[in-house]
Amino acid sequence: MSRDPAAIYDAAPKERRKRSQNAKVVRPPQGLRLPRRVRRLQRQAPMYALQGINELSTRLRDLTGHEVIDMNRVMGLAQFAYRQQQLARRGPNYTVDEFGFDAEWTEALLPLFGVLYRDYWRIETTGIENVPATGRAMLVANHAGVLPWDGTMIKTAVFMAHPRPRHVRALVASLFMGMPMLSWFLRRTGQTVGHPDDTKRLLERDQLVLVFPEGVRGTGKHYEDRYKLRRFGRGGFISTAIRASAPIIPVSVVGAEEIYPMIGDLSGVAKLFGLPYFPVTPFWPWLGPLGLIPLPSKWRIQFHPAIHVEENPPDSADDQNLVMALSDQVRDTIQQGVYDNLKLRRGVFV
Amino acid sequence: MPPQRVLITGVSNPLGAEVARRLASRVPSLFGCDVDDPVSALEEMDFVHADTRQSVIGKLVRQLKIDTVVHLAVMVDSSRGERATHETNVIGTMNVLTGCAGPASPVRRLVVKSSQAVYGARPDYPSLLSEEVAGFSPTASPTSRDLIELELLAHDFAVRNPACRVARMRLGYRISRETTLGRYLSLPLVPVFAGYDPRLQLLNEDDAAEAIAAAALGTQEGPFNVAGDGVVLLSQAIAIMGGRPVPLLPPAGLWLSRMAIRSATGVSLPGHLVELLMHGSVIDCSRLQSEFGWRPAHGSRAVMDGFALGLTEEPLESPSPPQEYELQVYLQRRRRGERNGHGTGAPLALTR
Repeated sequence: MSRDPAAIYDAAPKERRKRSQNAKVVRPPQGLRLPRRVRRLQRQAPMYALQGINELSTRLRDLTGHEVIDMNRVMGLAQFAYRQQQLARRGPNYTVDEFGFDAEWTEALLPLFGVLYRDYWRIETTGIENVPATGRAMLVANHAGVLPWDGTMIKTAVFMAHPRPRHVRALVASLFMGMPMLSWFLRRTGQTVGHPDDTKRLLERDQLVLVFPEGVRGTGKHYEDRYKLRRFGRGGFISTAIRASAPIIPVSVVGAEEIYPMIGDLSGVAKLFGLPYFPVTPFWPWLGPLGLIPLPSKWRIQFHPAIHVEENPPDSADDQNLVMALSDQVRDTIQQGVYDNLKLRRGVFV
Repeated sequence: MPPQRVLITGVSNPLGAEVARRLASRVPSLFGCDVDDPVSALEEMDFVHADTRQSVIGKLVRQLKIDTVVHLAVMVDSSRGERATHETNVIGTMNVLTGCAGPASPVRRLVVKSSQAVYGARPDYPSLLSEEVAGFSPTASPTSRDLIELELLAHDFAVRNPACRVARMRLGYRISRETTLGRYLSLPLVPVFAGYDPRLQLLNEDDAAEAIAAAALGTQEGPFNVAGDGVVLLSQAIAIMGGRPVPLLPPAGLWLSRMAIRSATGVSLPGHLVELLMHGSVIDCSRLQSEFGWRPAHGSRAVMDGFALGLTEEPLESPSPPQEYELQVYLQRRRRGERNGHGTGAPLALTR
């Protein structure tokens, strides 16, 4: 029998009746079915709840004289829940790019990081106007804090503070790309392997690429070495930027050093798990999972004016002298920015 | 000069049959060889039973004055053992290359089938693999190692025989009811590695055949990646197929995981597929696009949707019974005899 729906309507009435008798009748599942009024109430419950909270907020404001429930926050929360529901509904009908980046999913998750950005670390971002609204650029930042929260916060800053929100694609050490859960999460949110090929491809697609030239040397440094930038590799990121003709935007991050003050490194344990370092902080591993909670230090992020390395001819990417000189220039800019922002910060936690 | 006399090895597998069908109308004379009988008889093609594992190809090539060899007798997704696959892939290719080598050889064009599996899948690879990435790695799976060796042989051959232009076609993963990946994805409950959601890139069967046919008719040299645009995540692919992923497999002990999948579902995954299901692999087809001016018509998502809807190309003709094959051969000979001015009365012995 033909499955084409049009063919059914073309058939003679008698034929049609015969077919309709053969058709399988789809009934809603029988079982406990709430009365219609209750079901309608269920549907409208979120709306009523929001109205109720709004009412309560107005009453409390009148009563106490200042804002007790911030309706913006409540609406943000409702929006977040709604977006999660939408995500769950889309099933397999979405596309990720070749790097595995799912923009819709990431945007639905960003409000969570927004809370950390705004309320937990109270991040002050300056120089966001140096990040171009369109076109390619390479963000180069200092790396600190045992877990890469600084990368997350730079991504959140560009998405939340920039007049034209953009996604930043960070480069990650290949070691983390092989780990379960972590590799899944990193790829989903737009990160990719720190390989020159990947960097070049992303830049050629006019993306913002975030690079941490210090790598794990930066995140795994001891607390007494804080805010001292490590070696910037062999300047490979400069060569890639010149080849892809992308400007470099140095980024200084202050505050990430204090989230997990690393006072020791159990290299034997690290070797056992195949990790680059195994940190010991005042809380980890003594308090178990509680030790994973980062401390609420005060952060500042500064985006510096672009260094136009793309003005050099493409074949100068192989000139190691020039590459190292530019690498040092970027490193000095970031280091100077770190010192400036440390002066602007009143204290570690305020 | 366009190819005049083309030989296809491994013409009895579905890809070989499809390539032969496509080339039949475009080249003056077509020859095919394989160990098994062809899937369907093709009137324009002369078929010879020949095993690439023995050194008969050289004689065939010289006697028939073959100028283009399309080497498709390469097993990537095979249920046969590791050793048998190695024999066919490496020793077989070596024999074919030896047969085509030498200053007196009439062969001017050689197309070798390879696979995306030549790269393997590793977390430290770039997200898109370009042709230069493949290289020897001590941790590669047996299939990948065979393919690397095969490609090295083909590369050496190209260097030693500058008169012959060699193209190596690295075909992406194809899904159908015959392939392991296709059967794995069709399972109702699909065991997957916990904490991984790899990116898969797929290639339509027709696109694969078209790529090989285009390479046989062209003069491009070197390795070429061939796969559909875009990627599909494993979780997406399973959802499209209507299955449910079961994240049970641990990230360590791949051997144990393979055992578990085989005993639970009856699908025996080769090592390179286990790697793929963990780390995923995506290839960059820009070289194919720039040199051939052609790219696969179906994207990965379209291939996946097509498979789920059951629209994936089945082998176009069902295997014809032996008599039909003999009949085709008889008709072919008879027609050719007429063309050469011989009489039609000569009886032909229909023996196999």
